[in-house]
Amino acid sequence: MTHPNPASAIEITGLTKDFSLNLRGIKLRAVENLTLNIPEGQVFGLLGPNGSGKSTTIKIILGLLEPTVGECKVFGVPSGRVDSRLNVGYLPEAPYFYRYLSGTELVRFYGRICGVPRKQLDDRVREVIDWVGLSAAAHRRVGTYSKGMLQRIGLAQALVHDPRLIILDEPTAGVDPVGSAEISELIQKLKAQGKTVLITSHLLAQIEDICDRVAILDRGKLILEGAVDDLVGLRDRQSLIVDSLPPAELDELRGWLAARGHVLNAVEQPRTRLDQLFLSKVSRPKKEGDSR
Amino acid sequence: MNTAFPFPLAGRPVPFSPGRLGIVAGNTFLEAVRQKLFNFLLLLAVALVASAQLFREFNFGSSELKFISDFGFGAMVFFGSTLTIAATAQLFFSEIENRTALTILAKPIWRTEFIFGKFLGVFAVVGVFCALTTLLLLALLYQRETALMNANPEAFEHGRIIHYGDLVLMGVLQWLKFGVLAAITLLIASFSNTNLYTVVMGFFVLVICHLQYLARDAYGQVASLPLRLLVRMLGYVFPNFQVFNLADQIGIGEGIDPGIFLRVAGYALIYIAVIGGLAVYSFRNREI
Repeated sequence: MTHPNPASAIEITGLTKDFSLNLRGIKLRAVENLTLNIPEGQVFGLLGPNGSGKSTTIKIILGLLEPTVGECKVFGVPSGRVDSRLNVGYLPEAPYFYRYLSGTELVRFYGRICGVPRKQLDDRVREVIDWVGLSAAAHRRVGTYSKGMLQRIGLAQALVHDPRLIILDEPTAGVDPVGSAEISELIQKLKAQGKTVLITSHLLAQIEDICDRVAILDRGKLILEGAVDDLVGLRDRQSLIVDSLPPAELDELRGWLAARGHVLNAVEQPRTRLDQLFLSKVSRPKKEGDSR
Repeated sequence: MNTAFPFPLAGRPVPFSPGRLGIVAGNTFLEAVRQKLFNFLLLLAVALVASAQLFREFNFGSSELKFISDFGFGAMVFFGSTLTIAATAQLFFSEIENRTALTILAKPIWRTEFIFGKFLGVFAVVGVFCALTTLLLLALLYQRETALMNANPEAFEHGRIIHYGDLVLMGVLQWLKFGVLAAITLLIASFSNTNLYTVVMGFFVLVICHLQYLARDAYGQVASLPLRLLVRMLGYVFPNFQVFNLADQIGIGEGIDPGIFLRVAGYALIYIAVIGGLAVYSFRNREI
């Protein structure tokens, strides 16, 4: 896959992270010798089972943890420095925000922390809340929000300072398929705006749909990394989808292929995906209202 | 989004910002005043201060006005200490346990701003508490002194005996003492894993700070040099909360010496700065 912008949003080199388990010096190695380059402008999926080191890696990128060995740079700036976070938005897994603030107050609070100029703050808060589809609920207290709404307000706070890199840790955890699809759409829009998105998720079908590249971690080690199309596509196979063929014509086709040295490997009935079927059948809640 | 918002430049220095510190403090204050614990303790303190005049028959031989003053400040100290420790621990651990600290610290903010912002938020809450209870106490004393003056004018032939300005200074000193206590609690919270441990240790240190002068008096006389040095060192490590208790000088016609007030205030501010600095150092190394 070619990269329109080869500049790196994140460069991780030889990263190892150990956690001390007790005073006797026993350590848990959460990440081991990880080297990863995430190009700017791409949607990058960081995959792995629970405990594989995804969240630790994200925390190191955000400067919340110090690497034991190795280095991590965000737009060329070491991730331990405060200025490395100027261009980063972060949505944590299962976000919990200040329940006593309204959606607008919450996004405004984070906008001020990020240094959004006062003159632009109100417009920016309104814009970003509208963008995630929470305008009608913006003045409700966050404590009354559903999980899907929490994810969306979390996305709003991550975007309020217009970062170039957005890190989403399990953005669809606990969200219903409709909310999950809406988050996917938002990620696609971010990509269209040229943002870099780093996402972790256990919904592999969703990752396959939205990511340009993925890396798979297992027990802290990188075991696979590459473009999604390269990794999951079978380059020596093709599928032809045709209207239903009578058995006689199918045999004829098989013979035709055999005469040219090809083998018909499988004849299957194409299936729609269950999530697509679900989304086509259920009614989506109004964008701004959501349902609890 | 029709973003016309300039990208901040990575690599641009991010200086320490009092503005960001103020935002964290403001949010901490807002969270605290919306907590039931604050309202509950404030109501209890107000009730106790107000009830001081109901106990004026039991003044144990001291003057009635002094009894009301002592009773009021006693309530302020008891509930203020409880509020300071509980609010500091709760407001810190709510950020950790609810993972809101993750979203804040993932922004371009210094941990120093975060810690001092939390401190200032709690300090403001305790300030409101002290201001309200002091004002109530002033009103009660003024009302009672006026009644006594009308009933017995010859006892007040030189005018009022209560120095109301000194009562305000006393309230300020209590506030500063609670500031030191909040800084200590924040230091404990910065390395502690649980809210409960922080609260228990906070009360433990509170007792030490109130009683350390006894240990110094008792052990200061011992012949053993190492023990004497140890006691002296502990005397510096733990602030002496007795220096904030100037209540004996007020309410009976004596005033607070401004020099002493400034020295005690300076003592508190130095402890707040040093202990706050230690809390920042400890929190910078904490893995969130």
